[in-house]
Amino acid sequence: MADHAVAHAVHDPNIGNTGLDNRKMGMWAFLGSDCMFFGSLIGTYLAYKGKSISGPLPHQVFDIPLTSYSAALLLASSLTMVLALAALQRNRVKVAARWLFVTALMGAHFVLNQVYEFTTFVLHDGLTLSTSLFGSTFFVLTGFHGAHVTGGVIWLLILVGLAMRGQLDARDYTKVEIAGLYWHFVDIVWIAIFTIIYLIP
Amino acid sequence: MADPHAAAQHAPEGEHASVKTYVNVAIALALITAMEVATLYIPGIPNALLVSSLLVMSAIKFFLVVGFFMHLRYDHPILRALFVGPLIIAILIILAVMALFSAFVLLPRVVL
Repeated sequence: MADHAVAHAVHDPNIGNTGLDNRKMGMWAFLGSDCMFFGSLIGTYLAYKGKSISGPLPHQVFDIPLTSYSAALLLASSLTMVLALAALQRNRVKVAARWLFVTALMGAHFVLNQVYEFTTFVLHDGLTLSTSLFGSTFFVLTGFHGAHVTGGVIWLLILVGLAMRGQLDARDYTKVEIAGLYWHFVDIVWIAIFTIIYLIP
Repeated sequence: MADPHAAAQHAPEGEHASVKTYVNVAIALALITAMEVATLYIPGIPNALLVSSLLVMSAIKFFLVVGFFMHLRYDHPILRALFVGPLIIAILIILAVMALFSAFVLLPRVVL
C-alpha cells in the first residue's frame, strides 16, 4: 500500500505524501469550509424565523410544487454527473461529455427556476432583500446557493468544451471527479435548504 | 486519446460503486423526496412528528449522496475527516446560533 503510494508520488506531481491527489484533498477541504459557510447562513435563517414584523410570510409566498421540481432536477443531475464519471473511467469520452452536458442543462434549468421564483417574490409578492428579516435571510441563503449552482454550470460547460476539443480523456478522471464533488455538494446543500427552509412549517 | 492502460493507471484510489448502484441510489432519493413532500399533506400530523420525520428523511438523502455519489464511503479516511469534521462544526454553529436566539423549532419557548 505504502509502496504503491510512493510509486504514484514519483510519477505524478499531484500525488502528495499521503498518497492522495492534492487537488482532491484541496476540494474536500474547500467543501468542508463551505459547509461551515452554509451552516452559518442556515443558522441565521432559523434564528430569525418567525421574527419578521411585516409580511409577506414564508407560507404566503413559497411555491412547494415548483421547489420540489427544482429539488428533483438537482437530484437527477447528481445521477447524470456520476454517470459521466463512470463513462470517463471507461474512456468513453463522448458519452461522458453528453452526461456532463445534460448535468449542466439541469443545473441551468434549476437556476432559471430560481430566477423565476425570485422575480415572482419581488414583483408579485413585494418581498425583497430589505423588506423583512425573512426576506434578508432567505435571499442571502438561497442566492448564495444559486451562485454556487451557476458556478458549477460554468465549470461543467468548460469540461464539455474540453471534451469536444479532444482535450479531455480518461487520464483527466480526477479533474472531472473534482467537478463532480463540487456539483454533489451543491446538491446536498439544496437537500438541507429544501427541507429546512421550504418544508418545515 | 488515452489508452486503456493509461486510463487504468489514473483510475481513482478507492473502489467506486457500480452504475446499477448509482441508479438505485437515485431511485431511493426520488422516493424519499416524494415522501417528504407527501408528509406535508398528511392531515392533523403533529408538528414535532412532521419536523423530526422531515429532518430524518433529509439526513438520509444527505448521507446517500455523500456516501455513494461523492464516493466518501469508498474513499480514504483523511478525506472523510476533511469533510465530516467541518460538517460537525457547521451543525454546532446552527445549534449555537439557534440557542442564542431561543429559536429551537421543536422546543416551546419558556417565558418567565
